[in-house]
Amino acid sequence: MPLPRNWPGCSGVSATMSSSGSAIVVERLCKRYGTLLAVDDVSFAVAKGELFAFLGPNGAGKTTTVEVIQTSRPATSGRVMVLGMDVARQKSEVVKRIGVLPQGFSSFDRLTVRETLQYYAKIFSSRIDINTLMDLTDLRGKAEVQFKTLSGGLKQRVGIAAALVNDPEVVFLDEPTTGLDPHARREVWEALKGLKSRGKTIFLTTHYMEEAEFLADTVAIIAKGRIIAVGSPTGLTERHADHLRLTLKMRHPRAPGEGDRESMRSAPEIVRSMGFRSAAAPDDAICVPVDSAEDVRRILAELHAAGVEMRDIDVRKPNLEEVFLKLTGDTAVGTVNRASAAGVAI
Amino acid sequence: MTPRIVTATLAVRLRSFYRERSTVFFTLAFPVILVLVFGMIFTRPEQLKFDLPVQDNSGSLLSAALLSGLTQGDAFVITQVPTDVDAAAYARENKLTLLLVIPKQLGLPPGASAAGEGGGTPAAAGAELTYIFDPSSTSVNTKIQLLNVVIGRINQQLAGVPPVITLAPVSILPKRYRFIEFFVPGIIAMAIMTSSLSNALNMNAELRQKGIMRKLATTPVTRTDWLVSSILYQCILGALSTGMILVVAYAAFGVRLRLDAWLVVIVALEIVVFVGIGMLLTPLAKEAESASAVTNAVLFPMMFLSGTFFPVEMMPGFLQAFARVLPLYYVNEALRAAMIFADTTSVLRSIGITAAFAAVAFVAGTLQTRWGSEEKT
Repeated sequence: MPLPRNWPGCSGVSATMSSSGSAIVVERLCKRYGTLLAVDDVSFAVAKGELFAFLGPNGAGKTTTVEVIQTSRPATSGRVMVLGMDVARQKSEVVKRIGVLPQGFSSFDRLTVRETLQYYAKIFSSRIDINTLMDLTDLRGKAEVQFKTLSGGLKQRVGIAAALVNDPEVVFLDEPTTGLDPHARREVWEALKGLKSRGKTIFLTTHYMEEAEFLADTVAIIAKGRIIAVGSPTGLTERHADHLRLTLKMRHPRAPGEGDRESMRSAPEIVRSMGFRSAAAPDDAICVPVDSAEDVRRILAELHAAGVEMRDIDVRKPNLEEVFLKLTGDTAVGTVNRASAAGVAI
Repeated sequence: MTPRIVTATLAVRLRSFYRERSTVFFTLAFPVILVLVFGMIFTRPEQLKFDLPVQDNSGSLLSAALLSGLTQGDAFVITQVPTDVDAAAYARENKLTLLLVIPKQLGLPPGASAAGEGGGTPAAAGAELTYIFDPSSTSVNTKIQLLNVVIGRINQQLAGVPPVITLAPVSILPKRYRFIEFFVPGIIAMAIMTSSLSNALNMNAELRQKGIMRKLATTPVTRTDWLVSSILYQCILGALSTGMILVVAYAAFGVRLRLDAWLVVIVALEIVVFVGIGMLLTPLAKEAESASAVTNAVLFPMMFLSGTFFPVEMMPGFLQAFARVLPLYYVNEALRAAMIFADTTSVLRSIGITAAFAAVAFVAGTLQTRWGSEEKT
């Protein structure tokens, strides 16, 4: 079925774009493959010197968006500025000032680590000292080893080093830790923190929430080609977390007929009688969503008055992962409805 | 195009090539092995020699003269068969295809063999030689014809009459050429085709599959840099491969071929043709595995139908017509015209057609080569 001409979000491009202080400005970006709208009217900005994490489920349009920004894929419509330059018109200028670790980075099998970095340095006509670069990414010991024989974590580090040969102002890393073991992942994280401390702007694409939570200044969540939330990890959690989660672990639930009448009421009954919902959790625990710290205080006081003895109490804010699941779950449903209303199969 | 980037990329490719032993073998050693093997199978001494077992029942001076006449000009190599055996049974037992029997009476004085018949030369006595042959042998007719010719010559010499009519050969070629000289240009064309096509196809598919293209697309390397370095890389491999084939063909078989600028021009054009075809076929070969299938599907018909191993004229008419639409046919024609026949008109005609193939394949290949990740994978 042909695509409707006035596909939502892909019409005009507004001329207002402020790029002062921004390393990257994306405005009303659309990318279409045949009838599939992979990126749908996406706008955001990345400040200079920040670590910007771009999150989304598989197939959400993350990589497509990044590839348009890093000049390797043309946009269908919209405008992307990197360091004040239009990526569509000034590709050759943009590539000199950015460094890219593409998804699933690989290199020439038979070249050693040193030769690989020398090649990339040569094509950028960079005078960087390869030894310093290898020290920075902790590759010195593997300098004379062929790429083919490196482990996954080391290959990624070669990719990061290759992204730095031209001393770029903006570094793009597309899923740098996918497929790495926890130890190798930590090493990559340390390398990224090191880059940030050197003032680089880092655009990180990932689907690991803890990675974004641990590293990012700003997080943008994309689902079904649309940005659905932007903010700092804590800001996003606070904004989208409408509740705290109180977990109560009871000490020795009493057998029927034991103790006085009042204490016969169980903790879930007390909580429900106060107007809260409760759910059973493992290990004789119950989980209660509450709105505020005041609610927590009231519940604890009521339980104490009722003589219910607690073994453990835990009050937790939802983390980024819960926010992500909540937001992307909602959006998935919304987008399917919108697509079927337009008569297009996605 | 940036020369710095082209040379850096070329160096990376050559280094990778040198370190990949199997590629070195198939690109350089394999054509050389083909030349050696086919050369040994098909190259015979210039003058053919046949074995001829002879049962000499006469043992006379005349039979000795006859035997030396048969070996003259290296026509036959004579082996003696015992006179006390039945010739036909002996030939059967020893699987001889042709056996010459000299009768007892050959060369006897006229009085001894046919008393009272009077004088006359031994030849005039009309001695009859017998040959026993195996009609199921494919080569026996050639041997019999040759035997008749040699016996005729001996008869004439014995009669002491100079020949009235003689034949002098005039070749349409500047010199005789042997199978190996036909074969070497074919192998050069095949080696260049194989390495150009499979490198263009396999390497691009492999680099794409491995995401190296994605990385290069975000660097100052442009599509032109990449293509120019590919062509230069192929030219270096082509020169190495052609050089090795020629050195081996000269050293092992003493071939005599003309080596001039035409060879360089033809090889360079062939590289452009097949790198272009490789780029055209890249969309069919997204993975390294399908790339080698596509490569073989193009290579084999091209190799067997374009006159690499045998002259196209040996094939049925419709296959000959098909060969004439294959670029390798014109490369073979051009190489042979230049290296064997030194026929400039024919070289120019074939080069013209090859150049047309090169232009079309290269322009079409370049136009449809995607750089980076424009294709949705």
